[in-house]
Amino acid sequence: MGDVTLTIDGRQVTVPAGTSVLEAATQAGAKIPTLCYLEGLNEIGSCRLCVVEIEGAKTLAASCVTPAAQGMVVHTNTRQVREARRAVLELIISNHPFECLTCVRSGSCELQALAESLGIREIRFEGAKAHHAIDDSTPSIVRDPDKCILCRRCVAVCEQVQGVSAINVSGRGFDSVVSPAGQLPLNDAACTLCGQCILVCPTGALSEVDSTRKVWEALGDPKKHVVVQTAPAIRVALGEEFGLAPGSIVTGQLVAGLRALGFDRVFDTNFTADLTILEEGNELLHRLTTGGTIPMITSCSPGWIKFIEHFYPDMLGNLSTCKSPQQMFGALAKTYYAEKAGVDPADMFVVSIMPCTAKKFECERPEMRSSGYQDVDAVLTTRELARMLRESGIDPTALEPASYDAPLGIGTGAAVIFGATGGVMEAALRTVYEVVMKKELPSLDFREVRGFEGIKEAEVVLGDTTVRVAVAHTLGNARKLLDRVRSGEASYHFIEIMACPGGCIGGGGQPIGTNTERRLERIDAIYQADRDLPLRKSHDNPEVKQLYEEFLGEPLGHKSHELLHTHYTPRGIWPKR
Amino acid sequence: MDLVRAHVLVCGGAACVSSGCKAVREALEAEIAARGIEREIKVVVTGCMGPCDLGPIMVVYPEGVFYKKLTPDDAREIVDEHLVKGRIVKRLLYTEPGTAEVVETQEAMTFFSRQERIALRNTGVIDPLNIDEYIARDGYAALGKALTEMKPEEIVDTLKRAGLRGRGGAGFPTGIKWDLTRKAEGSPKYVVCNADEGDPGAFMDRSILEGDPHTLLEAMAIAGYTVGANQGYIYVRAEYPLAVAHLEHAIRQAREYGLLGANIFGTGFDFDIDLRVGAGAFVCGEETALLASVESRRGEPRPRPPYPAASGLWGQPTLINNVETYANIAPIILRGAEWFSSIGTEKSKGTKVFALAGKINNTGLVEVPMGTALGDIIFDLGGGIPGGKKFKAAQTGGPSGGCIPAQFLNTLIDYESLKELGTMMGSGGLIVMDEDTCMVDLAKFFMQFIQDESCGKCAPCRIGTKRMLEILDRITKGQGREGDIELLIELGEHIRTTAMCGLGQSAPNPVMSTIRYFRDEYEAHIRNKKCPASSCAALFNSPCQNSCPAGVDVPRYIALIKQRRFDEAVDLIRATNPFPAICGRVCDHPCESKCRRGTFDEPVAIKSLKRFAADWEIKNKHQYRADFAPPSGKCVAIVGAGPAGLSAAHYLALFGHKVTVFEALPVAGGMLTVGIPEYRLPRDIMEFEIEAIRKAGVDIRLNSRVGVDVTLDQLKTEYDAVFVSVGAHNSAAMGVPGEDLEGVLPAVEFLRDAALGRLVKVGRNVAVVGGGNAAIDAARTALRLGAKEVHIVYRRLRSDMPADPAEIEAAIEEGIQVHYLTAPTRLIGADGKVTQMECVRMRLGDFDKSGRRRPVPVEASRTIVDVDTVIAAIGQSVDTSFAGKPADGQEALLMTKSGLVITDPDTMQTNVPGVFAGGDCVTGPATVIAAIGAGRQVALEIDKFVGGAAWQHADVDVERVLVGTPIEEQCKRCVMPEMPVPERARNFKEVELGLTEDMAVAEAARCFQCDVREP
Repeated sequence: MGDVTLTIDGRQVTVPAGTSVLEAATQAGAKIPTLCYLEGLNEIGSCRLCVVEIEGAKTLAASCVTPAAQGMVVHTNTRQVREARRAVLELIISNHPFECLTCVRSGSCELQALAESLGIREIRFEGAKAHHAIDDSTPSIVRDPDKCILCRRCVAVCEQVQGVSAINVSGRGFDSVVSPAGQLPLNDAACTLCGQCILVCPTGALSEVDSTRKVWEALGDPKKHVVVQTAPAIRVALGEEFGLAPGSIVTGQLVAGLRALGFDRVFDTNFTADLTILEEGNELLHRLTTGGTIPMITSCSPGWIKFIEHFYPDMLGNLSTCKSPQQMFGALAKTYYAEKAGVDPADMFVVSIMPCTAKKFECERPEMRSSGYQDVDAVLTTRELARMLRESGIDPTALEPASYDAPLGIGTGAAVIFGATGGVMEAALRTVYEVVMKKELPSLDFREVRGFEGIKEAEVVLGDTTVRVAVAHTLGNARKLLDRVRSGEASYHFIEIMACPGGCIGGGGQPIGTNTERRLERIDAIYQADRDLPLRKSHDNPEVKQLYEEFLGEPLGHKSHELLHTHYTPRGIWPKR
Repeated sequence: MDLVRAHVLVCGGAACVSSGCKAVREALEAEIAARGIEREIKVVVTGCMGPCDLGPIMVVYPEGVFYKKLTPDDAREIVDEHLVKGRIVKRLLYTEPGTAEVVETQEAMTFFSRQERIALRNTGVIDPLNIDEYIARDGYAALGKALTEMKPEEIVDTLKRAGLRGRGGAGFPTGIKWDLTRKAEGSPKYVVCNADEGDPGAFMDRSILEGDPHTLLEAMAIAGYTVGANQGYIYVRAEYPLAVAHLEHAIRQAREYGLLGANIFGTGFDFDIDLRVGAGAFVCGEETALLASVESRRGEPRPRPPYPAASGLWGQPTLINNVETYANIAPIILRGAEWFSSIGTEKSKGTKVFALAGKINNTGLVEVPMGTALGDIIFDLGGGIPGGKKFKAAQTGGPSGGCIPAQFLNTLIDYESLKELGTMMGSGGLIVMDEDTCMVDLAKFFMQFIQDESCGKCAPCRIGTKRMLEILDRITKGQGREGDIELLIELGEHIRTTAMCGLGQSAPNPVMSTIRYFRDEYEAHIRNKKCPASSCAALFNSPCQNSCPAGVDVPRYIALIKQRRFDEAVDLIRATNPFPAICGRVCDHPCESKCRRGTFDEPVAIKSLKRFAADWEIKNKHQYRADFAPPSGKCVAIVGAGPAGLSAAHYLALFGHKVTVFEALPVAGGMLTVGIPEYRLPRDIMEFEIEAIRKAGVDIRLNSRVGVDVTLDQLKTEYDAVFVSVGAHNSAAMGVPGEDLEGVLPAVEFLRDAALGRLVKVGRNVAVVGGGNAAIDAARTALRLGAKEVHIVYRRLRSDMPADPAEIEAAIEEGIQVHYLTAPTRLIGADGKVTQMECVRMRLGDFDKSGRRRPVPVEASRTIVDVDTVIAAIGQSVDTSFAGKPADGQEALLMTKSGLVITDPDTMQTNVPGVFAGGDCVTGPATVIAAIGAGRQVALEIDKFVGGAAWQHADVDVERVLVGTPIEEQCKRCVMPEMPVPERARNFKEVELGLTEDMAVAEAARCFQCDVREP
């Protein structure tokens, strides 16, 4: 396959054969509107907004799915093309509720932006609108099919990236609707609640369950002691919500912003990330030395946990029994910290700022009440936090950076890198190496497990033993890896799996506009934040050491077992009735 | 071996299964067994024979006698009579719809004799469940030849030279498609048969699948060999259970015979076929959607390229053709490319199977050479339109196609010609519409279908077709808005250019083509809230009232008659028609042809009921009760005292205006008086109705010719408004030599003189030329005036005659002879008097714009007959002398070239302000009721023009309630009592005698009262 040369709007452009006309036009400097198109993922030509005129063709062509051909003459901006695009957009809008003013996506809605850029001022094609009930059956994701424009990006990401296929198009024609099979509620489907669908949705058809009201209420209740934890990935993403470049590190401003909102204590999930490394590292060593189930797989990502519970229930034994850092935090906040601070845990309200929609589900799991209360009371995504800040007139980027509160606010660089794919593995290796080898690591950077490749492998020599590890991000890659493990094709000692592309920095709760480039920027920022910290190994965290001394005793000890470890629930693929 | 002396073929196609062929076959076999002749007679159940509405069908060989519409009793009779005694059962034979000729054998039926069967060569001939019968008709010989004698390239070359194109609708050259797949890189490759026939009204594929499944298997194996595939799939819809069963059976048999499977014919070529049964989504006929469905994915299309030839099933090169395309393969291989390409047109070779459906006598399947005229298919093979209705349009290509109106009946059908007309070949559905079809409603039907079948993937189809449907829906409900037609066109154009697949791109076609050819019908719905075809029920109270040019509230006066409230009935008629007694006798009653009862048994005798009510009024000296408006002080002049003028006068007087009617003749009534003979419309009836108008205050001035006694200019100045309704009282000339001979009379003059009692002499032998009511009136009048023999000479067929069929019948009863397909060419005279007429035989040629076949003279068929009177009744025109020469500065009245007055159809005003026109002088010769309707309408318009108030209350809604129960069982309509022929033939006494009261009340009870809607 060689190159082809074609003419676009009078300009010659040469592209490799197989390149779409859309891509070729972009190279030629033409801007073609798109709506359903998602590069490399959803190239189905269903919205028809990217139509162009190709000389000699009977109809207009959807440029996103038309391969460029030698000698092709393309016009992207003729009267016919403009009128057709406007007509198609008018038709799409004619079946869309006019709720822009109250829509969560107002301002970040691609349909709204297109209507503006194509100059739509009236809808001449009025008529009936398709109606399907809002699905708010899950604790994480709300589906409003009336706002859906059937672009199918969510279907594509769910199927192709996540390998889950929880949703697809059902019904036909005007009655088409994106939904779980049999038009069941999402909660009855094998959905991992990862929220990747929300990130690709161009409209308000998919959004997170809003928890801001609950948090506002707690903040406004003088009896409540409201503490907040922030996941590692928030500090490299929140800035985007306030106009900063992707990859800006706003740790101090984040803390300041949360204080300004009125939280009584601002803590860091990094604290329990370090704790997780100690518990999980020891669990791994224990399994390795006692012939436990190998490979051991990380358990920090709740979307991943739900995935394995649905699709690989036979492999639940491979999961680390460690709770996620969020849940370890909740359990300790309402026990260890409550005791220290002299607060009745009944009056304590624990809020998490997470890049993740599945965390909303995780905190409500019945297993997550080891403090005697629901350990984490509310989870806010990065987007929800940004909304609360905006509502309060707080621009955190304009605030003087502040520091986290002690003791649960202290974390190391190893904890920060939990936010990127491979980070948990790297953090664990930093600790395990030193625990086993009883000597300092020559270099802290395990580059083999970093980066955006879907499945990464590495070997680490620990004395006589060579430990084989693997890292996967996205559930589609997790599926591939698990299939190989299950079939015996590959064998590892330790596996890190994160549900979302790029890890938590690419989570379903992150700012709208999250894409591969932004994910890479955030990953760079995560490693920068790691480098910027004085302590970069979890076992060096002084507050964690103190926790063991004062409260837990030793890793995998009795109290750890009660508060920091959990068990899993096989769920199966089909809903149980 | 048994010596079989007769084969009985019983059609087992799905349509015949529905009409009960199984019971007929069982009865047949039982009777044969009972007679002990089962070893002599062989019964074969075949696939579809074609003429589906004639089922159950049986053909008895060796004679080939065709029996239709059989019951089990008929089957037994055929055994006893035909098979045992050798006597053909005449009553079960087929009658040609055109000529009413009874035909004995299958091959003598036009339906079959005009066909050329290639794809259908075995369908309806062999037992589809018996592979040996297929083999006996050269089955699998083509596969043998292909595998043993031909290289794949040669097969491709043969198909290319044959010129076969895809029969699925798009017409892509089959040879090229096979070549592309053959040359595509990748292995394995697949061969797929698209048997997902889904067009409404199309069933070609089904019939082949059911009737000749092996032709498909053989062709697919040849295709597999050609393109390098070893596996084939047939995608057939689950709604075709018989097809699925026959295919499964055929595949099993072919495998047993080694014609599918490994090492076919010992050549080392392996090929097998599996079925995929689809759930019946129309879009799965689109090839990429079909392939997705075969792969068990959601059946919806994907963008092309890549085409299936490059990347089809599971991303592999895939050949996909439809059933009919494959059915042509084996004959082409066996008989050669030259044979095939000798059939058809330049760009479209071979034959095409059409499924005839809709308003056509012979619904069913026909296969004709490409390039056969559309009209020939409909009228020769299809037997024309049932019920004497007029052909309106034919839809090809189903929901992806468009309609073809009457003016294109001569189109020679092929891919290109149909495309030019805005439609497409499609898979071959041909749905015929008659005058009762509303084209907006038709477009809505297809758009509804598309809406139901759109997969929903691309926005223009998913939402755009919904919006088009909504617009069409509101138009048919009388909620159409100005601009809707333009919106439909715009939307349609956008959907055509932006939709992803063929389904969406062609979805607007039915709408676009109906707008293209029947825009006036859309406009009538939108502007006038009227459905001219009386189909869109939301736009009218009842079809009879809707089709009445005067808008007479038929169902309500019938309900009043049913309750014996005759006085109210006649008052109600008079509210919109001041001539109930006249119309009760001479109206051409368009209402009856739209009567819903007519679709059940026979239309209600509306005209007779009207006459009954009117006669009751006269007999009982009932005084018409009407509300007269107070005098308005406005005065209106009316030119011409015909039905239009007098009707206008009546209502204008009612509205309070002072009306003066100027009539050139010495009598009032116009054509009613001087055009219609007394035996149809007695003079005293005329007098009664005209007197009623005089009583309303109208001044009728006889012998006052406008243009002579008074000028139009004068009327314009002296009156507030003028209504011109001069009628069409001039006769058209025949245009043959000898027309000026003595004894040659124009019908209008002849009838006028006869009516005025002037001396009219007719000779012994009278010839009347023409086929309209005037011709019949002239003939019957001539008979009454003493002619010995009266002949009517008409150049077309009886079914083409514009005259009222009842009048034709009456004329024939009276002994008048009608010569069809005959036209005069020359009148020969002696001493200035006509003595002979030379005539020529006509044959029907191609179709004219009205959809009737054009008569063409057959030379060397001239005959000369003796005549002494010739009456020309071939047309009338307007005497425009009334207009005179306008005075200086006055505007001249605009007229057409043929002398018709031009008016604004909405206001009925001419180009001269204050001058209105209506009736025959605007429309050309039309009907009495049309003139009456025009008169009433113009009265409302003039009332509006002069500042009156009546026009605002013209349409008031009334409550419509069911009166008693309509008769719901089959019940013939009452027959009008007539004076016996001997008593009437030589005098002008009224022929029709009127219904008795009991007859009228009984007939009224037949009305379904479809004006009363379910709440």
